Amino acid sequence: MSDVEKSGFISKVIGPKKRWREYKARVKELPENYRMAVEAIERHLMHFVPTDGDSNAAMFEDLADLFEQAAAHGTPIREIVGQDPVEFSEVFAQNYSDGGYVPARARRRLTDDIERATGQDAGKDRKTA
Amino acid sequence: MAKLLTEMLKGTLEGIILASLSGRPAYGYEIRARLREQGFSDIAEGTIYALLLRMEKRGLVDVEKVPSEKGPPRKVHSLNARGREYLEEFWRTWSFLTERLEQLREGGK
Repeated sequence: MSDVEKSGFISKVIGPKKRWREYKARVKELPENYRMAVEAIERHLMHFVPTDGDSNAAMFEDLADLFEQAAAHGTPIREIVGQDPVEFSEVFAQNYSDGGYVPARARRRLTDDIERATGQDAGKDRKTA
Repeated sequence: MAKLLTEMLKGTLEGIILASLSGRPAYGYEIRARLREQGFSDIAEGTIYALLLRMEKRGLVDVEKVPSEKGPPRKVHSLNARGREYLEEFWRTWSFLTERLEQLREGGK
């Protein structure tokens, strides 16, 4: 894998391509309905902003782990993802993505901005005082 | 009732899983089976798995891959020293919370 690939947009979203291909190959081996479920969750997970390619690749590998084990045990899909698959995906994504649609820098900015605002709060020029 | 239970469980699920692991190590499927036996029937396996991954990242559990006869290797989770500390804190917080809620209930009568 070249450095170019590692720093590219695609690898930021899905991780290194080699790991992505390996993940896809594992998903292909799953029973049909499990594969469909994984691909649906995969699509949803794409909405979350990843912290970096590596942790995002790990996310999909962990997802494959879960479904491979569930398929081996014969756990029904509904019992894997629960009654609310959206919530399941969100809990899952939180481990890898700072948990949401909002990019990490936007979170930092909000934190910093409020910090600045409250810093001024303690300062001299309170307009409404 | 079921919905409220789910909501209330959310914040405590981590503690529940750690408590379940404090007896002996287990892999995801086993933990869910144990919790089911104890009446927590609505918890999805995937949710438990996601929380186990988080605990692993935070260094509360140790993970060992153990080969299985059928299917992929199992990730067996065990509570480590940090996890035990966290669990103790969880129980302290739990006691505090139940005490206060009980007081509120008494006060409301």
